[in-house]
Amino acid sequence: MRTDSKRWGDPVLVAAVAPLAVVMLLFFIIPLLMTVVLSFQTTQFYRLSWTWDLKVWTEVFSKPHYWTIMVRTVAMALVCVVVCVLIAFPAAYALATRLRAYNAQIQILIIFAFLTDAVLKTFGWILVLDKSGVANWLLAHLGLGHEALNLLFTPTGTMIGMVYGLVVYPMFTIYLSLVRIDRDLVLAAYDSGASRLRAFFEVTLPLARPGLYCGAVLVFVLSLGAFLEPKVLGGGTAPLASELIRQSFETRVNWPLGAALTLVLIVIGALSLSLAAFVLMRGSANHERSVR
Amino acid sequence: MKKGTSGIGGVDRRAMLKGMGGLGLAVAGAGILGMPRGASAAETLNYMCWEGYNAPSILDPFQKQKDVSISVDLITDSAGGFAKLAAGASKDFDLVSSDSPWIARMGPAGICRYIDDKDFADQYAEFYPQFRAPFTPLQFEGKATGLPTRWGWVGPTVNTKFDKLETWSSYAPVFDAAYKDKICLLDWGDWPIMPLALYAGVNPYVELDQPALDEVRKVLRAAFKNTRAIVADLAIAQKGLIDGSFRALIGGGTYATSSLRMKGHDYIQSIVPEPKNGLKQGIIWMEATGLIANDRDSKVAADFLKYIVSPEVAKQLSITEATCNLVPNAKTEALFSDAEKKALQMDYMWTAWDNSHFHTVAPNIDDMLAIWQEELAAR
Repeated sequence: MRTDSKRWGDPVLVAAVAPLAVVMLLFFIIPLLMTVVLSFQTTQFYRLSWTWDLKVWTEVFSKPHYWTIMVRTVAMALVCVVVCVLIAFPAAYALATRLRAYNAQIQILIIFAFLTDAVLKTFGWILVLDKSGVANWLLAHLGLGHEALNLLFTPTGTMIGMVYGLVVYPMFTIYLSLVRIDRDLVLAAYDSGASRLRAFFEVTLPLARPGLYCGAVLVFVLSLGAFLEPKVLGGGTAPLASELIRQSFETRVNWPLGAALTLVLIVIGALSLSLAAFVLMRGSANHERSVR
Repeated sequence: MKKGTSGIGGVDRRAMLKGMGGLGLAVAGAGILGMPRGASAAETLNYMCWEGYNAPSILDPFQKQKDVSISVDLITDSAGGFAKLAAGASKDFDLVSSDSPWIARMGPAGICRYIDDKDFADQYAEFYPQFRAPFTPLQFEGKATGLPTRWGWVGPTVNTKFDKLETWSSYAPVFDAAYKDKICLLDWGDWPIMPLALYAGVNPYVELDQPALDEVRKVLRAAFKNTRAIVADLAIAQKGLIDGSFRALIGGGTYATSSLRMKGHDYIQSIVPEPKNGLKQGIIWMEATGLIANDRDSKVAADFLKYIVSPEVAKQLSITEATCNLVPNAKTEALFSDAEKKALQMDYMWTAWDNSHFHTVAPNIDDMLAIWQEELAAR
């Protein structure tokens, strides 16, 4: 079989890659390097002082509260991934199978909700989750007691906002994976005597994995940077990393500290994703070996 | 089908496209011909300010009168605005309106030029005596940086439908179990820290030693334990205060109150607690406007400084869409209606002044903000 191998000397390939490479260099690599440089400076009287120093990094590694917030951020992101996937998978499955007739209309509605301003949506949740909000009003009318829910200004409130804002990503990535599955494979499973449940777990779910992983990664990465939800719906009960970074940059005007915390968050995110990729690849390899 | 309700369904595609094309040209033409000032104005001023200072009713008359275009950059955080100017943006700006401690710092830092009080003698003459030259909070070695523009006080903001004002003659309810989950702290930098430190018997405006900082930590920890929410957004805090889910807001003071009172919620009040252990418990905050030091040293910018503190403009600045605040110009008082005076709690303003510290940049503010962050993380 003939394979096309491209060489980096190929002018067509260079021309194709160059624009993206320039954009990445200007707007990702250089700012990232500047952030690294900034983290080794100090501040004096709210002004940046260009003195190469490990003071900020010493502070970051010696004060446990930074790590409390980082660990909390990762934990919240992981919970958000699980909840989003659990909600998104059945919804995407229904869209790809049972609701195909209304598929376009439902997708348009989801996209409208998705494109609505995040600030508006987050503040909208206050009206729902408040002690005197819609949710409690509804529960009171159902006879479940006055002010049955107390979710606003709690970590659960933050999680509700995060899930609402991010669930659309896995919904669409999983949907795209599901619609690409050859229906004949599922029918073949049925013909071989598999039950619906077994066909789902042995055919549909494995083939939907790329969309599932892709959606999970998107939710995880975006959750790490969640800012509005903990600020507005969390009410300072469980601050996350982005608020810590904002406070360092804006309120404390400690740009080197903000830069160092940003880098810590990026490294935590990258390490978490690498670990997840390693575990999943190992799992796949073991699975393939057992099939053979 | 009625005229005007046919919608897209009643128009063919070609006509629709022609219409859109015409509309596009019209918009583009209006953009060029109607470009209000900027391109045609004799001078451009770059103005860094808080929201409210940028109201068209304030800027437009000056732009027309002086044939100048004012380009605005809104501040979201005073310290952040200072840092931005200090990092080099000062060469791009001509004017800045921010919290007075930061304006006061801009003179010695070389960001703002000092003003000669004699040049502003007419303006000072109109101010309340408390704000007249030499106005100490904005002075450094006998030289003034800018003029005061708005002010108010920070104390408990209370809904008197639920609580008597006397209850809040001290910050004690913040730590009272009976008020658990009924208090809201405003996450506005150093504003919520200072009153709580004062309650703990620590004067945050002097250099603090470690035991004093430990006291600040203790009082913040105790306050966080009893607090329902720490919010930065004024609308959320105000909503909670009105519906009674928050019995008091700490750290906002009149900045959080007067716009509500202006809208008829006159049962919401900001007060200053009684002095405790010889320490005043209130804080006077103030905003000021300074002239930025750059190659241009615009004269029109100095004219704007006189303009922004003039009685009529000060009134516009006092009553804005978002917040309502007091102004230093005594002549403005005559321009307020009785309802506006009541909303601004003008009958109480000098009582608050007498029982308050003037808010400046505290020497240990970074330590206190770090403590705030640490205690917040441990909540």
